[in-house]
Amino acid sequence: MNRRRAPRRISHSQRRDAAPAAAGGGGGGDWRQRTEEQCRVQGKAQVRDGERDERREHHGKHAVPSGTCQTMCPARELRDRELQNRLHRFELLAGTERDRRPRGDPLCAVKEYSRPAAGKDSTNPTDLRPPAVLLKTVFYLIDDIAASPHLRPWTEVYSFAFDRLRGVKQDMIIQRVSGLTCVAILERAVRFLIYASFRLCGEPLRIYDPRINDTHLQENLSWLLDCYATGTGPHPNQEELQALGLLYNLGSARAAQHVMELPERLRSSPAIALALSINRAFLERNPVRLLRLARRLNFLQSCALHRHLVTCGRDLLLIYSHGYSSRNCRFPLDRLAGLLSLDEALAARLCRAYGVVVNQDDKLVFSKAAFTEPEQGKLHCRLYHNVVAEKQRDLSVGNIIHNCAWDKYKKSKSSLHVE
Amino acid sequence: MAHVTINQYLQQVNEALDNHEGSFCSELLSFKHPHVVNPRLQLASPEEKCQQLLEPPYDEMVAAHLRSIYAVSNHDFVEAYKFQTLVVQSFLRAFQSHKEENWALPMMFTVTLDLRIFANNAEQQLQKKGKGHPGEMLEKAAEQLMSCFRVCASDNRAGIEDSKKWGMMFLSNQLFKIYFKINKLHLCKPLIRAIDSSNLKNDYSLAQKVTYKYYVGRKAMFDSDFKPAEEFLSYAFHHCHPSCQKNKRMILIYLLPVKMLLGHMPTHQLLRKYDLMQFADVTKSVSEGNLLLLNEALSKHETFFIRCGIFLILEKLKIITYRNLFKKVYLLLRTHQLPLDAFLVAMKMMQLDDVDLDEVQCILANLIYMGPIKGYISHQHQKLVVSKQNPFPPLSSVP
Repeated sequence: MNRRRAPRRISHSQRRDAAPAAAGGGGGGDWRQRTEEQCRVQGKAQVRDGERDERREHHGKHAVPSGTCQTMCPARELRDRELQNRLHRFELLAGTERDRRPRGDPLCAVKEYSRPAAGKDSTNPTDLRPPAVLLKTVFYLIDDIAASPHLRPWTEVYSFAFDRLRGVKQDMIIQRVSGLTCVAILERAVRFLIYASFRLCGEPLRIYDPRINDTHLQENLSWLLDCYATGTGPHPNQEELQALGLLYNLGSARAAQHVMELPERLRSSPAIALALSINRAFLERNPVRLLRLARRLNFLQSCALHRHLVTCGRDLLLIYSHGYSSRNCRFPLDRLAGLLSLDEALAARLCRAYGVVVNQDDKLVFSKAAFTEPEQGKLHCRLYHNVVAEKQRDLSVGNIIHNCAWDKYKKSKSSLHVE
Repeated sequence: MAHVTINQYLQQVNEALDNHEGSFCSELLSFKHPHVVNPRLQLASPEEKCQQLLEPPYDEMVAAHLRSIYAVSNHDFVEAYKFQTLVVQSFLRAFQSHKEENWALPMMFTVTLDLRIFANNAEQQLQKKGKGHPGEMLEKAAEQLMSCFRVCASDNRAGIEDSKKWGMMFLSNQLFKIYFKINKLHLCKPLIRAIDSSNLKNDYSLAQKVTYKYYVGRKAMFDSDFKPAEEFLSYAFHHCHPSCQKNKRMILIYLLPVKMLLGHMPTHQLLRKYDLMQFADVTKSVSEGNLLLLNEALSKHETFFIRCGIFLILEKLKIITYRNLFKKVYLLLRTHQLPLDAFLVAMKMMQLDDVDLDEVQCILANLIYMGPIKGYISHQHQKLVVSKQNPFPPLSSVP
């Protein structure tokens, strides 16, 4: 190919994200019309060059935009939002908060995510941040926002960090950032979203929408896995993130097949091997084993798994309702609580929700006829939160997202963090 | 034919197009036809000649075809792919203007098939040079095929005889091949929906239907819909042409695990006939309830099973293997009240050392829930009480 177009490999979901405005459906559902934005996105670069992992220079017809903005927020956007009073309270210059028109602090303001739209030029170099600035922005969002003990409530912290991370991703896509910087950013974004999926689980929908969080998590993850597959590395966190991906997508044939196709060296690493065993227990519908293995997970891994714990508890009660279905038989509650890794009060609540009778002397009467699915939304995943939260111990949010915990985990597998 | 001049060749094309001879045109555009090795047709710039003799957009199509021939003669598949894309694009322009006619369908089959093959070859060539990314070329080819599919699927005006919808299944099959290769199975769904809702779905050629069912069966298998998967794959296996042993073998690679999960074990002869002895130990261990052997068999042929994408499905056979092992315990003890310890001992014999009574109970409960064991567990007495009648019903009878 003499006129070489920028190589691309990008999941369809990413493309969609980059140009939601262009979702003019073709006959085939997943196939969408191209817009200029999409064509640019298509060219999202791949890393072939581990050493020089910045934007790839481009010989094609359309040059890849390359940012020059050296601050987290382009000057023009800061001015505009100042004038329109659209600064977030985390971005205000100290002392001006109470003014009629508060000023923005250039050291705190971060470029917003803005939806691509027709006629909007999102490729202006002065509005785009080069990879190094993007990475710095991500560090700021983690260290000074997500992990800050002063900013409250965390739901607001989340919505701010979520939006600004999305903005970072958009800048990366437009400039086709790839390589190690890209990996470093995506790894943190994935950890942040996994942590948030646990911490905010159960919050009202208007504050936290698990569906939207999930969509972004999956996009970041699939891009990250692409980087691992095509980049030369080194990727020291790969086994951690591969394991997180599998735990988060437990039971998904695609995720499991992806992990199975990894080189043996990676597959047999402790984290991935454990994740695979948990996935196997899930496929075999062996919740007892699954929950037992889950105790060996570290905090973030538990966060990734936690959304499956409800299903797991349900499976256990479902098969026990059949397996122990006899009028004269009783099953001790404390025993079941142990299997579920819950305390007795919570285990009893869970049983009742599924129609399992708990009698006065804390014995369960399983009956296949009595098992019922609880009403949607009645049963909160929060029941399980203590199990996960216990593992956080003294880990700070910053540690979790930067994976400092992981280093400790790797150093001593029998340490406190692994239990 | 092999040594015609360029003028003769172009005249033949022109005549065939004028007479709407679809299959002859398709031959003249096919890389399976001998004209592609004719040195007199291997031209670096045939555009002008084509413009003189052919109407647009056919001139562009044939010129691109000749450029593609030239590229192939130089073993440059990246270039060949590029021009084949042009062939498909200009063909599609012509095809769209054929209102209420479908005589050009054979041409579409040929040019799209060659496009996919070139995409494959081009990708391999690029990979060898360390360029490009896996799936990149095939994804682009899929986009071209999809635009053909759209034209076919939206042909609502023509009567059945002249409908372009007859091209849908062929294109779906080509697209399936790509989607399976690049591991984007979710993209199959809209195609399946389109074919399912089409009133022609039972009237396509048998060959096309066999391919179609093969892929739809595999898709169902990955979605864990084993009953429909068995149905589709069995259809493909039984209707596949007997001379296509290789295809039958490919179907079996997926049909066997599905059948086994549903309780039907393949015979040794079948495995031998189709050179699928990798499954022999798996089959044996499942029937015997030998978990130890099953684990060994799975890891021995791990690479093969992973490459075929069936490793995870074969792992599910463990559940059935447990059942067969537990049945042995029952046959040995000859009682209806079986101590749970006995099952634990059996598990330990299989070197499952980290298993304890809680897990044994969980596995038993699951088997009772799924149906291959009839009975209940008594926690107080630590016993499995099995039904007096038919405590281990044959797997194939379990719903």
